[in-house]
Amino acid sequence: MVEQVITGLFIFGLLFTLLFAVAFVQNWAPWTLGATLGTGMSLFGIGIIAWGKYLMPRGPFVEERHDLASSDEEREAFTAAIVERGGGVIKRRKFLAGLLGTGVGAFSIVSLFPWVRSLGPMPKGTLFHTDWGKGSYLVDISGRRINVSDLTIGSLVTVFPEGMEHTDNGQAVDQTVLIRVTNQDFTTRKGRETWAPQGYVAYSKLCTHLGCPVGLYEQELELLVCPCHQSMFNVTNGAMPTFGPAPRPLPQLPLMVDSNGFLQSQSDFHEPVGPGFWERS
Amino acid sequence: MKLRHTPLLLIATALVAGPLVLFADAAGAGTSSSPAITYQTSRINAGTPNSTNVTKDPKTGAITSYGDSAITYTVPSPALNALGQSLYLQNCASCHGTEANGVPADGTQGAYPNLQGLGAATIDFWIASGRMPAADPRSVQAERRVPRLTDQQAVAISAWVNSLAPSYPAIPSVNVKDGNYSNGQALFALNCAACHTIEGAGDALAFDTYAPSLRHIPGYQIVEAIRSGPGNMPRFTGNLSDAQVRDIVKYVTSYVQHPQNPGGLGLGGLGPVAEGFVALLIGVGLLALAGYWVGERE
Amino acid sequence: MSTINTTRKSNPYGKVGQVINELDDRLGLAKGGRTLLDKVFPDHWSFMLGEIALYSFVVLLVTGIFLTLFYVPSSTLVVYHGAYLPLVGQKISQAYASSVDLSFAVRGGLLMRQMHHWACDIFVGGILVHMARVFFTGAFRKPREGNWTIGTTLLVLSIAEGFLGYSLPDDLVSGTGIRIAYSIIESVPVVGTYIAFFLFGGNFPGTVVLGRFFIIHVLLIPLVLLGLVGAHLFMLVQQKHTQFPGKGRTEKNVVGTPMYPVFMAKTTGFLFIVGGAIALLGAFAQINPIWQFGFYEPARISYAVQPDFYMGFLDGILRIWPAWQFNAFGHTIPLEVTLPTVVFPTILFALVYAWPTIERKYTGDNELHNLLDRPSFRPKRTAVGVTMFVFLATIFVGSSTDVIANFFKVSLNTVLVEMRVLTFVLPALAYPITLKICKEMQGFSGAGKRKTTNIVTRTEEGEYVATPAPVYVDDAHEELDALPVPTFVVEEDETMVSTGVRRAER
Repeated sequence: MVEQVITGLFIFGLLFTLLFAVAFVQNWAPWTLGATLGTGMSLFGIGIIAWGKYLMPRGPFVEERHDLASSDEEREAFTAAIVERGGGVIKRRKFLAGLLGTGVGAFSIVSLFPWVRSLGPMPKGTLFHTDWGKGSYLVDISGRRINVSDLTIGSLVTVFPEGMEHTDNGQAVDQTVLIRVTNQDFTTRKGRETWAPQGYVAYSKLCTHLGCPVGLYEQELELLVCPCHQSMFNVTNGAMPTFGPAPRPLPQLPLMVDSNGFLQSQSDFHEPVGPGFWERS
Repeated sequence: MKLRHTPLLLIATALVAGPLVLFADAAGAGTSSSPAITYQTSRINAGTPNSTNVTKDPKTGAITSYGDSAITYTVPSPALNALGQSLYLQNCASCHGTEANGVPADGTQGAYPNLQGLGAATIDFWIASGRMPAADPRSVQAERRVPRLTDQQAVAISAWVNSLAPSYPAIPSVNVKDGNYSNGQALFALNCAACHTIEGAGDALAFDTYAPSLRHIPGYQIVEAIRSGPGNMPRFTGNLSDAQVRDIVKYVTSYVQHPQNPGGLGLGGLGPVAEGFVALLIGVGLLALAGYWVGERE
Repeated sequence: MSTINTTRKSNPYGKVGQVINELDDRLGLAKGGRTLLDKVFPDHWSFMLGEIALYSFVVLLVTGIFLTLFYVPSSTLVVYHGAYLPLVGQKISQAYASSVDLSFAVRGGLLMRQMHHWACDIFVGGILVHMARVFFTGAFRKPREGNWTIGTTLLVLSIAEGFLGYSLPDDLVSGTGIRIAYSIIESVPVVGTYIAFFLFGGNFPGTVVLGRFFIIHVLLIPLVLLGLVGAHLFMLVQQKHTQFPGKGRTEKNVVGTPMYPVFMAKTTGFLFIVGGAIALLGAFAQINPIWQFGFYEPARISYAVQPDFYMGFLDGILRIWPAWQFNAFGHTIPLEVTLPTVVFPTILFALVYAWPTIERKYTGDNELHNLLDRPSFRPKRTAVGVTMFVFLATIFVGSSTDVIANFFKVSLNTVLVEMRVLTFVLPALAYPITLKICKEMQGFSGAGKRKTTNIVTRTEEGEYVATPAPVYVDDAHEELDALPVPTFVVEEDETMVSTGVRRAER
């Protein structure tokens, strides 16, 4: 009876395997490839196991375990070989051995130098400053400059310094959210009276928790929420974190308006953007 | 086992009931834990850029439609005003006031949004998506539901409300024929995925608000939502042209709402967590069961 | 004469015998080979769990090699011109383009990609259940602490390997994960920025990270994995497998099925079943649909992004951790990152590595153990294991706070606070509950054994009494006496043929 079942399993397994060949050659839908292959393999597997389990000599059988440990004499002899033979060699030439040890030690350290230092530059540069500067125009992803008449209250757009919108490195560090909070000049914190002309507020889009882009804006709550771990930043008071794991506010970009109404940055961010790191003071 | 005789049952009950109590508390007291919500009552610069083909009523000079081949915005006809006003008074005035200015009969200012000056598309969106009339006026965010009013009734109400303080955006109709899927995907990924997820499944946001799923929204309502920024959704005006909005609509109504799933079941588009459950429960689980058959019980 | 005389008695088994003769002349494999073939493997079903991991590793290797023949590990931009319309005309990295082409343009490519990814999830899942079995039965005790160390290293490496692997296609979801990984490396005090800059060749994202991830994923870690798996299996063969206590089983023997042919048949069949299951999953359940996510650009983000399940516990603990930081003397340590993702996993895995030592110190038990424990007979160890599992499962659930809030229509903020509470409450409850259950199971003889039927009779006083029913012969689960593995060669002399095998009279 079991033999008949196993026979059936093997026959169908073979059929499905051949069907895989047909499916492949005929270029059927992708799911058929996996379905035929998987069914064929599974049937074969069940058949082989059934053969092993029901048709082969059933156990249980027993095997003795011999002691893993060697005898005391053997252990002593082995240890003696290492200690006395090797020790004898070293004891006679302690100075040479010391030099060798120092050499090997030094080698193992200096040989790592290329593996560590050559891989990349020292941390500096865009870790501490971005490409925003005095007079950088705010552009969207298509390179179009943002004008004060473009956005209405409750609007948001991702902006970059002009020229950096299509570079990965530029995008990674320079990405900024521009939000129109109101219609008049707006002050988020003391000392930032000129930073938000005509209600346009700009914050670094890099979350200060782990660097995810904070693209989620709730206009009625006036809250920027980071989609990764749900840190919440209040856009009206300098993006201070009000919930979630981020401890530092999003850096604010000081803005100004040129004579044609296009938005520019007054300067770079006043602090490093993105997550915290040791050198960030 | 003597489980029923031990205090374990009490601990287990507390363990299950405790979180439920906390959840129930949160669901009912949503407003008390969230910050005070201020409603937007005025919008200036409300309009769509790159608007061409403005047609005006020859007699009154009022704009009847504008837009281009991608999206045409139509101001609802003033002939609907009377019908709209009567429907409004029946369905909306109890909360939004008889003047549609957010002052209900008992006089509390600002309890419900002022509907004047928001544009016809805004009113039409809320009613045609079934969110209004609100099922629970005290909930933090109204849900999309089967609409209580028909599309024509929605247009009529928006006609009357818009006539009180005419504004933009008007009711759009979108023609996706010349749309570009790639532009749509790129814009969707940059502007929409942060709230609605890249698969358009929607998800919970802060303080009982949420971004709804995009799986069942008709194309013109997508335009209405983008241009009017309902609720907490940002209002995308000057930074997205009509052609770009059309591309987004084309992408959403095809690849987001009808995803190709050549690899098999889509697992709800929920990503690695759902995949992990399938791998562990079905994959490792079934294989462990296979092992149970292969091996011995003792 | 200086040659070795090789004329021997001819092997009576014909062609096969001749081949064996030739091989034995050169390699001397008859003696050791016989030992190997007679090796007895205990065949309790829970010993198959490690094989789930082993065979899914084999599937990973086979499917992985196929993928390397098509994938291009480069962030150079190309314009996509393929079958998936929403990408046509966009400038995407070669890595992403080659992965999308694998999915749409290569016949069988999507199946291979999906099988590879499902096999990875099942690999890590198999390691976890196997590790749980080893832990709860005490198989890590002397002499097997080395295997426990190797196994834990395999777990760590497989998690890293999985992360590197799903980051290779450079899609939106995994690219976000790489950004987060970069920030975690950055957060290490003093040296963090240096390590991050060296590893990535500069600030994020740089242009070298995909190539470096690729070679680590395809060459470096698989080599180490192969070596460690080999060492793991070698030690298993050398020390012989453990077994549950039972009839005829002692610390000094192994009872089970012989390697050849029974065990080899079962294990080969199991290989096919694991491969078949992975292929069926690859056919019917879509995994990692990178075309739907779009490519990775640093300014893009999607909501509800999570890592694969074996990294989920890190995502969860990041979400629930409070917003702590250390900011003084001109330096910042972002504790909200360093503590949950650098310090916590180090402590966790240090605990796992050190567990055999901890248990040895605590129980004072330095004896060799070849018999396993029933988990309920070691309540404290079982309770510790369950508590750790509950803790990790809770923070794993914490990685889905937004999905939970959306599904149950509860405030996201409330769910997060809930998860913070549950992270402490649930493990604290798990420990005493498990302890109690174990102690009760110990007292209940026959716990875990097959149920037997009872005959209920009513006495004259009205009391009901249950007596075990006589067991029918066909129902009986008899434990047979263990036999030595039969030999089929009639020996002239009395000495043993090979170690560990007693002769049976025919």
